[in-house]
Amino acid sequence: MHDGYMGRFLMVDLGRQTAEPVPVPDWLKDEFVGGKGFGAKLLYDLTPAGVDPLGPENVLMFLTGPLTATMAPSMRACVVTKSPLTGTFLDSYFGGYFGPEIKYAGYDGLIIRGRSEFPVYLWIEDDRVQFRPAGSLWGKDALDANQAVKAELCEPEAKVVTIGPAGENRVRFALISCEFNRQAGRGGAGAVMGSKNLKAIAVKGSRLVRVNDPAAFNEAVAVANKDIAACGDCAALTATGTSFAVPWANEVGLIPHRNYQDQVDDQADKVGDAGQTKHLFLGKAACFACPIRCSQMGAVRTGKHATFITDIVEYESAAMIGTNLCIYDIRAVAHLVKLCDQLGIDSMSAGGVVGFAFEAAEKGLIQPPAGIKFEFGSVEGAEYLIRAIAHKTGPLGKTLAEGVARAAKAIGHGAEDFAVHVKGLESPAWGPRGIPGMGLAYMTADRGGCHQRGFMVAYEVGGRLFEDQPVDTYGLDKKALMLYGLQNYLAGTDALVKCDFGGFGVTAESYARLLSAATGKKYEAPFFDALGERIWNQTRLFNNREGFDPSHDRLPRRFVEEPLPGGPHAGRRISEEDMNFLRADYYRVRGWDERGRPTAETLGRLGLDKSRQFGAR
Amino acid sequence: MNQTGFVKTHFDLCTGCSLCQLACSQRLAGGYNPHRAVLAIRHESENLYHFPVVCEQCQNAYCMNSCPVGAISVNEATGAKVVNLETCVGCGTCAKFCPIGVIHVDPEIKKSRKCDLCDGQPLCVAACPTGALEFICPPPEANAGGDCHA
Repeated sequence: MHDGYMGRFLMVDLGRQTAEPVPVPDWLKDEFVGGKGFGAKLLYDLTPAGVDPLGPENVLMFLTGPLTATMAPSMRACVVTKSPLTGTFLDSYFGGYFGPEIKYAGYDGLIIRGRSEFPVYLWIEDDRVQFRPAGSLWGKDALDANQAVKAELCEPEAKVVTIGPAGENRVRFALISCEFNRQAGRGGAGAVMGSKNLKAIAVKGSRLVRVNDPAAFNEAVAVANKDIAACGDCAALTATGTSFAVPWANEVGLIPHRNYQDQVDDQADKVGDAGQTKHLFLGKAACFACPIRCSQMGAVRTGKHATFITDIVEYESAAMIGTNLCIYDIRAVAHLVKLCDQLGIDSMSAGGVVGFAFEAAEKGLIQPPAGIKFEFGSVEGAEYLIRAIAHKTGPLGKTLAEGVARAAKAIGHGAEDFAVHVKGLESPAWGPRGIPGMGLAYMTADRGGCHQRGFMVAYEVGGRLFEDQPVDTYGLDKKALMLYGLQNYLAGTDALVKCDFGGFGVTAESYARLLSAATGKKYEAPFFDALGERIWNQTRLFNNREGFDPSHDRLPRRFVEEPLPGGPHAGRRISEEDMNFLRADYYRVRGWDERGRPTAETLGRLGLDKSRQFGAR
Repeated sequence: MNQTGFVKTHFDLCTGCSLCQLACSQRLAGGYNPHRAVLAIRHESENLYHFPVVCEQCQNAYCMNSCPVGAISVNEATGAKVVNLETCVGCGTCAKFCPIGVIHVDPEIKKSRKCDLCDGQPLCVAACPTGALEFICPPPEANAGGDCHA
């Protein structure tokens, strides 16, 4: 019977130039469902301990879920690999049109291993897989390469992912550019793709994605759409995308300013919805099968950087490249973000790295070349650095292309004091001082400092209740328990693979109803919490195996030692004692030992003690 | 004077989400795949524009004119040009002469598929979250029993 899955992975070996479909075992569907769940299990099983993220033995996986490519609202796909930036498990999500096309070609995921001896791209048309030379594409920017692949194949309807020069050059925070204006941005999946000499993947499929009970599924879709229609946050995303978060984050004292020296910025509104509505937006675009259409498409029409088409400058980019670098002309911010997209680097990490470099220059630790200024507010300085990083130009470009953690170590002389990252992942644009639960979320996120694995901001300053009670913003009690719930639920629904924004509206009950109708099995809302806990522990097993321990579950010095100078949380920091309390409480809640490892009892409770090994090695 | 019902498109409202195509392929083929739908979306200029491409239900329909076996006829209620799957031989002549590419031979059933306006209740229109697709009823005097004015 139909169950929403295609029932096969496509196993690609770039070294041998082989591609073969392998069945998706039933136990894998039952225990891990899809997306992040598949990725957590497969990465652990398919890589040897200590695998070099940029070596041929690392796997690069594009994974869908049972609801991807259906009419279920706001579903996505994800890239899973070992991160060259953090050395951890990496899952990076992308919307757009590429994920569904994998299923239309007849696969639940693409699993790519090995390394081609020369640049290639993959052309997957149902069962036909071609390894095509990519010499003429090498060096092209990520968006041009997309068009060039389609032109060469004479396939305007193919869906394509590409890397830019940064991925080719193995910049550790290189992204994968996904069809269209969507990026698997964080953690350096683009460098993994580049290390395999894989410039692009084009897919077109004629297969049908079939659900078990189409009538029940239609009803479930209608209910989920009603959830979204009733959701205020979803309506705000429809209206102005994530840009509305700029003034809000500033008001609640969390927006990064001057490489996180502060968490308020009196000019923030210029790069938020006010500035973007005035200078950028023209209309709306949606990811596949998404009624929210958060993407605000537009163009820079005036000023020095005119004229170019731009998607919305998302909150994270607006803050990391805007307020964090003190650049307030939204047209310039859009220019720099587009440059990141074209060159193929994560604009969030880029904002972190450039902010770090500006501060290092301020302190006299690095020098700009003649005619360029490295100082906060300098668009030219930021542009120079972004290009230098992507192309690894000179010693400075090479150093910064490694990310702030490695760069700070190389530069020395106290540079590590203002390198803002967790496990090597440059921090997202929600400063945690004043919201210790969010600090704990960064400390414990499986891919390093990430805001999307448990958005404690919602509890700590967003007014969300916990156990029907308002949450004490600065308190430490129960923060681990709150985070445990958030991380589990998000990991569970990331197996579907849901979009976080759809998830603001669609309830757990509605996801369960969709999954039940799609698969023909009976699921209830709490399923996702249990599934997510299993997945979370599976990623922890991977990170433990790769050498991570409690010493890595910590915040950077700036958040720990430097009290905030101003804003609503003036004087706040998250001290060593705070971290020790939060970490110990979190391990206790999770059923992990003092070394941060899941106990035998925990593994048994989650069924991870007797989980089979995916046998495709 | 246009005597047929048709789906009018508003490209300025289209977000490219493809929900219309999914609703269409589910009805026609029993599963989801936008390539199997009988309407298309052209995404252009880095996704800045989305053009829904829908059967116009032409008054002078080349698909109907060119069909060698007379398998395409006019539905009296809606004015839609409809393929009779029993008569269709899947030769693809209609697809060759449709100027906007909205009739094609389905790879599974080997018969031509085109928009039949879902008998007056187009699912693509219902699925569109923005109103980019609008069903225009045939004028009442041309509507012999269709329920779209109900």
